Amino acid sequence: MTDATAVSGDGLNFVQRIRRDYSPLVIAMVGLFLFVFLAGAVLTDDFLTWFNVKTIIRDAALVGIMAIGLTFVTLSGNFFLLSMKEIAALSIICFATLMGAEWNQWGPAEGDPATLALMTTFLVAIAATLIIATVAGALQGALIGLGGNPIVVTLGAAGLFFGIGSWWSDNLVVSYRRPHGAEWLGTGSFVGDIPNITVAFIIIAVVAELTLRYTTFGRQVYLVGANRAAGRATGHENFGMAIKCCIIASLCAAFVAVAFSGQVSSAHVNYFSSEFGSSGDMTIMVIAIVMVGGNSIMGGYGSTLRTSLGAIFISSIDNMMVLNGFNSGARVLAVGLMIVFSIIVFALVRRGSRAVE
Amino acid sequence: MLLRLSNVSRDYGAIQALKSASFEIGRGEVMGLVGENGAGKSTLVKIIGGFDTGFTGEYFYDGEVRRFSGPTAAEHAGIAIAQQELSLIPTMSVAENIFLAGDGVPRIASKGILARKAKPFLEEVGLGHVNPMRATNRLSVGEQHLVEVARLFAHNPQVLILDEPTAALGETDSIRILNMVKRLKDRGKSVIYVSHRMDEIFKVSDRITVLRDGESQAPRAATDMDVNSLVELMLGFELGDMYPDRRPVTRKAPILEVRGLWPDGILDPISFDVYPGEILGLAGQLGSGTSEILGAMAGSTRSRGGKLYYNGEEFLPARPRDAIRRCIAYCSEDRKRDGLFLGRPIMENLSAPSLETISINGLLNGAKERASTTENAIKFTVDPTRLPQEAGVLSGGNQQKVALGKWLSVSPRVILVNEPTRGVDVGARAEIYQILRDLADQGAAIVVASTDIQEITNLPDRVLSFYRGVEVGELHLDEMTSANILEQITDPFREAGISVSERA
Repeated sequence: MTDATAVSGDGLNFVQRIRRDYSPLVIAMVGLFLFVFLAGAVLTDDFLTWFNVKTIIRDAALVGIMAIGLTFVTLSGNFFLLSMKEIAALSIICFATLMGAEWNQWGPAEGDPATLALMTTFLVAIAATLIIATVAGALQGALIGLGGNPIVVTLGAAGLFFGIGSWWSDNLVVSYRRPHGAEWLGTGSFVGDIPNITVAFIIIAVVAELTLRYTTFGRQVYLVGANRAAGRATGHENFGMAIKCCIIASLCAAFVAVAFSGQVSSAHVNYFSSEFGSSGDMTIMVIAIVMVGGNSIMGGYGSTLRTSLGAIFISSIDNMMVLNGFNSGARVLAVGLMIVFSIIVFALVRRGSRAVE
Repeated sequence: MLLRLSNVSRDYGAIQALKSASFEIGRGEVMGLVGENGAGKSTLVKIIGGFDTGFTGEYFYDGEVRRFSGPTAAEHAGIAIAQQELSLIPTMSVAENIFLAGDGVPRIASKGILARKAKPFLEEVGLGHVNPMRATNRLSVGEQHLVEVARLFAHNPQVLILDEPTAALGETDSIRILNMVKRLKDRGKSVIYVSHRMDEIFKVSDRITVLRDGESQAPRAATDMDVNSLVELMLGFELGDMYPDRRPVTRKAPILEVRGLWPDGILDPISFDVYPGEILGLAGQLGSGTSEILGAMAGSTRSRGGKLYYNGEEFLPARPRDAIRRCIAYCSEDRKRDGLFLGRPIMENLSAPSLETISINGLLNGAKERASTTENAIKFTVDPTRLPQEAGVLSGGNQQKVALGKWLSVSPRVILVNEPTRGVDVGARAEIYQILRDLADQGAAIVVASTDIQEITNLPDRVLSFYRGVEVGELHLDEMTSANILEQITDPFREAGISVSERA
């Protein structure tokens, strides 16, 4: 009944458009986050050194790529994959095992990591890893698409994948010798001093955003996420959508696993449970990024651009807290507070807009 | 008079639901309350039951002016409503449900005590044969409705409001309800009986109050009226000019032949033909099965069997996509559930069924999308400058136009519409009728299902009528009067000498 509020987008400046499109609560939240970020940046010694910024963008890249994959699942209205870190764990075991496998060595290891022999080893390993991740994603997507509860399905799948990875590796660290063909992805940099994984993050973020905006598939993600019943009624079934989005999320998790393994030249099923990020749990970290970015949990609203900004924000805050000597408990608390805060703000905004209706 | 309301008005925003309406009921009286959809029945019931407190006017109960703060207050005063939707907890026992509010029983009571205390209430509603310890969900739907009433009895009400108690019930259960109303009356209770079913109204009511467009008529004794005069009162003067003129339809080759379609809610498989250029109406009340038929034709409701022949091709859609690919469009009765993407821009809503036609190799063509959605928006008189806005900000009428208009993008040959004007204001109504008629004139076949008696009388070229999952008959243009249709969808077996109670 708000027909009278019809305002065309023309003739408004940037500030006016922001005020029209976003509720004051969201603007306040973004303002608060920006304030915290800037205040922290100024007050923290050594924060704005190139070495530190490089650490941040490398960390942000790893969690950010996974979060971008998960954003597709969330936008399509299928909530979250609670198995993100287990998919990564299975992938990293698979990758590291194949990197060190006897049959997968195609020549003598030399000083230069970019030899044909080492690259062949790397390509075989990453191909197998991505295939396994695709199967893992498709399996979960099919179960969700058939009507399984995403929480239950992915909790179960998490146990399955972790179990396979743990069994396969005997719960031991799988390591392989340097030089190896994954070093360029783990620690290398082609463009100046910018880590290659960060370049990959930027490329993936841009491609994901363009996909969502300008492809038929991207439009379907939004439509099915906004209203699954209406999506079905207009010919867009959630079954195929859930499978595709889960595969995308799984591939992103596997890619991050490969890059991380290339960094440390080894693998263990617990890498993504204990050694990662502030919360120590990759799944929670990634979900936090999707939520703090302001993507609707119910689907249909949000973007991977928001997710990317969320990744940079959370990684920066975490880094500031490390530099200021907070222990890991305090950092987990900070991430938790940010999640709760953004959930409350977006819930209030949704309630407000429903009252208008 | 036990209960009297006078000069009661209530508006919801721009919609005036009640316009200084009056209502009264005496002790030990059964008052029938009838009216079309949207006439204000449910608003009046909500006001009487204390659910709606935002009205103006006088409310007398038991000789005093009363203003209840909420349904609980009204219940304590002795006014109880049995809602159309059940509010029982299905997994709890019958006795537990009856004493859900917790009054009249000790704070700590064993199941046996509850069962003993529940027994007299069950007997009162004619459920003496039911074990009070039984889980509620193991009773029939009609029995559950009676349990709901038994629960109200636990508060010893003086006035009992039954809001369409038989809408979802079969014959046997309906008779139970009617018998219970008669028993209540004998015991000196007052009953307000709201129903669309004319036969029931005449069977139980002493007097009848008619609501029309929020205005009330003075109550009349049921014995002074018959079905025809009551319908006349309900409809008032027919708004013929709202409906576009019909052109003669030549029915040569059907575009869609429905054979043996059998969705849930339909008793026997249904067969009929749909011809290009005509608007076919499916008339029937809530629960008559017309929605299920349309849903099954579009692949959104499962059918136990049957076939559709579309231009000679045999198929049965398993999902909506199968129908859309054949240019069969379907608009359900609930646009918010599956007709619109409320949070997405209007443009995306309008292009949603035809993403393939506006994209090349999986890439959306923005210019093409803007051009085709603008064209369709103009056809449906939706302001094209509003295309980037969210569909949720539109009014009900405009939302319905978008929900319908999105199908133009697939150039539909068959358009199935359930309740084309539910929750739509009068102006937009006329526009929607005109658009449907234009589409039919251009050669599309249109099937409309509606519970609105005026709409189903004046819009279609031909009507199939349904009553509780049974196809009653086919009416052609010369026999299509409101009275004929109403008789077929409310009390089709009266002429054959079979009435509801005798059939069972």
